[in-house]
Amino acid sequence: MPETLLQVQDLAVSYGPIQALRGCSIEVRPREAVAVIGANGAGKTTLLKALSNLVPAKSGQVLFRGEPLGTRGPHRLARDGMLHIPEGRGVLGTMSVLENLRLSYDIRPAKLSFAVALEEVFACFPRLSERRTQKAGSMSGGEQQMLALARALINPPDVLLLDEPSLGLSPRMVKEAYRILRMFRDRGMAILLIEQNVHIALGFAHRGYVLRQGQVMMQGACSDLGSDPDILKHYLGTSVEAA
Amino acid sequence: MVGDQIINGIILGSMYALIALGYTLVFGVLDKLNFAHSEVFMAGGYVGLSWIALGAPVWLAIIGVAAVAGIMGLAVELISFRKFKGSDGQITASLSSLAVGIVMIDLVQKYWGSEPIAISLPVALRTAGFTLGGMTLTWLKVGILGFTLILMIGLQVLVQKTALGRNIRAVADNPASASLLGVDVKRVNQQTFFIASALAGIAGLLLTMRTGFASSDIGLGFGLKALAIMGIGGMGDLRGAVIGGLVVGLCEGLGFQFGFGRLADIMVWVLMIFVLVVRPAGLFGNATARDVRA
Ligand SMILES: Nc1ncnc2c1ncn2[C@@H]1O[C@H](COP(=O)(O)OP(=O)(O)OP(=O)(O)O)[C@@H](O)[C@H]1O
Ligand SMILES: [Mg+2]
Repeated sequence: MPETLLQVQDLAVSYGPIQALRGCSIEVRPREAVAVIGANGAGKTTLLKALSNLVPAKSGQVLFRGEPLGTRGPHRLARDGMLHIPEGRGVLGTMSVLENLRLSYDIRPAKLSFAVALEEVFACFPRLSERRTQKAGSMSGGEQQMLALARALINPPDVLLLDEPSLGLSPRMVKEAYRILRMFRDRGMAILLIEQNVHIALGFAHRGYVLRQGQVMMQGACSDLGSDPDILKHYLGTSVEAA
Repeated sequence: MVGDQIINGIILGSMYALIALGYTLVFGVLDKLNFAHSEVFMAGGYVGLSWIALGAPVWLAIIGVAAVAGIMGLAVELISFRKFKGSDGQITASLSSLAVGIVMIDLVQKYWGSEPIAISLPVALRTAGFTLGGMTLTWLKVGILGFTLILMIGLQVLVQKTALGRNIRAVADNPASASLLGVDVKRVNQQTFFIASALAGIAGLLLTMRTGFASSDIGLGFGLKALAIMGIGGMGDLRGAVIGGLVVGLCEGLGFQFGFGRLADIMVWVLMIFVLVVRPAGLFGNATARDVRA
C-alpha cells in the first residue's frame, strides 16, 4: 500500500470562464478520514467530480494509489476501488432497493457472496430490508441516504468520497448517517468527506481542509482546526448563513 | 373476413411494435430520437433478400440480418450520437441521425434501384396454410407471429432479468449516477443501439417476407409510424411500444376491412395527436422525472 491513497496536486478546474478550482492540493492516506469544508460555491463538489473524472482537470493532476487518473472513466475508477456518493446521493430512483445494491455489489469482485453481503447490509439498515423491492425513488430522503451508504457496505471500496451526506436530513437522520460513517471509519475505510456543517465534519475526520474560492486556505488535524479562531472567518468568507 | 383482418392487423402491429421497441429503447437510454432507425429497418429487407439470394435458409438470413443491422446501429451511434452528451446535443444528434437515414435511402437506391425488389422464397411458404375458425392462416403468418412474440418476450427478459438489462435501465435512469456505480455508459449505449437495430432489421426482413418485396420507401412510411406509436405508448416505455403497435395494427387492419382504404394510413398520426392531447405522456408514460426533463 503506498503512503497516500489519493493525492491531488495543484488541481485546477474551470467551467468555461468560471474557475471552480484554482490550484488545489489535498491528500488522503490509507485508513484516514479527511474532511473538506467550505462555503457554498467554494468548489467542494467540483473537487469530488474531478476525483472521479466527471469533469476534466485543466491543470495539475490526481494520483489514485500512485497512478494518475489519466482518461479512466468514472466507471473504471469505481471498479478500481473508488466509491463516490454524489451530491443528491446518486440513487437510481426507477430501480428497486435490491437492484441498486446489486449494481454496487457487481462493481468489482467481492469477498462475500451477494446473499451474505446483503444480510450484513440489512442487519445494519433494517429499514432497507423492509423496502427491498420498493422503487428507490419512492423512499424518503433519509431512506435514500441509507441506501447510498449501504453501497459502501455491500462491497467496501478502498476510498469513499462523500458529498454532503447530511444535506436535507433531519437531525435524527444526520446522527444515524454519521453513526454508520463512524463504523466505516473505524473499520479502516479511507474517507474523503465534504461537509458544510463544520462542527460535524471536524468532529468526524482525522484531518481537514478549508476550501475557499477554489483554494485551500487552511489545513491540519481536525482537533487543531476546531480550536482555531480564524477558521470561521476563513470559512464564512462569502456566506453568512453557513455558521 | 373480419377474422382475417384481425390476424393481419396483429401481424402488422407486431412488426410496428418491433420497430417501436428499438426507438423507445434508444430514447430511454439516451433521451434522444434516432431517426436513422427506420432506415435500418428498411435496409433489413434488402440485406435479408441478399442473404436468401446467396442461398441462406430463412433462419440463417434472420441471424445475418440481425448482425448486419446491429453493426449499422453501432455505426449510427458512433457517427450521430457519440459526440453529444447530455441534453445539449439532443436536437443536433437527432438531426445528424436523420441525415444518416437519408443517405442510407440513397445508397440503397443506388445499389438496388428505386423499384421494389422481390425476395425469392418458395411460393409454398407464402400460400401453404390452414383455416381456423373462418380465418385463413398461412405458415408464414404463423411463423412471423410466433417469432415476433419470442423476440418481444426475449427483450423483456433481457431488460428485466439480466445484468445487461440492469445496466441498460441504470443508464436510462441516470447516466452519471450509473457511471459512478461502475456501469460503462458508452458500452451500454453501443449495446442498446445494437439490440434496437437488430430488432429493426429483423422487422424489415419479416415485412419483406410478408409482402414479397423490399422497398426503399418503407422507412419513411411504415418505419416512421413506429415513431408515432412510441408517442402513443409513452416515450421510453417498452410495454407502451408493444401495446401501441398492436392497437395501431389492429385499427389499420379493421379500417381496411371497413373500407377506409388509404385513410387507414393516416390513422396512426391522428391517433397520436388525439392521445397526446388527452395524455401528454402517452398511454403508459408516467409524468414524472423523464417528462419534467424533456
Ligand atoms: N456545471 C457548472 N457550470 C458552470 N459553473 C459551475 C458548474 N458547476 C459548478 N459551477 C460553479 O463552480 C463553482 C464551484 O461549485 P461547486 O458546486 O464545486 O461548489 P460547492 O462548494 O460544492 O458548493 P455547495 O456547497 O453549494 O454545494 C461555483 O461558483 C459554481 O457556480
Ligand atoms: Mg456542492
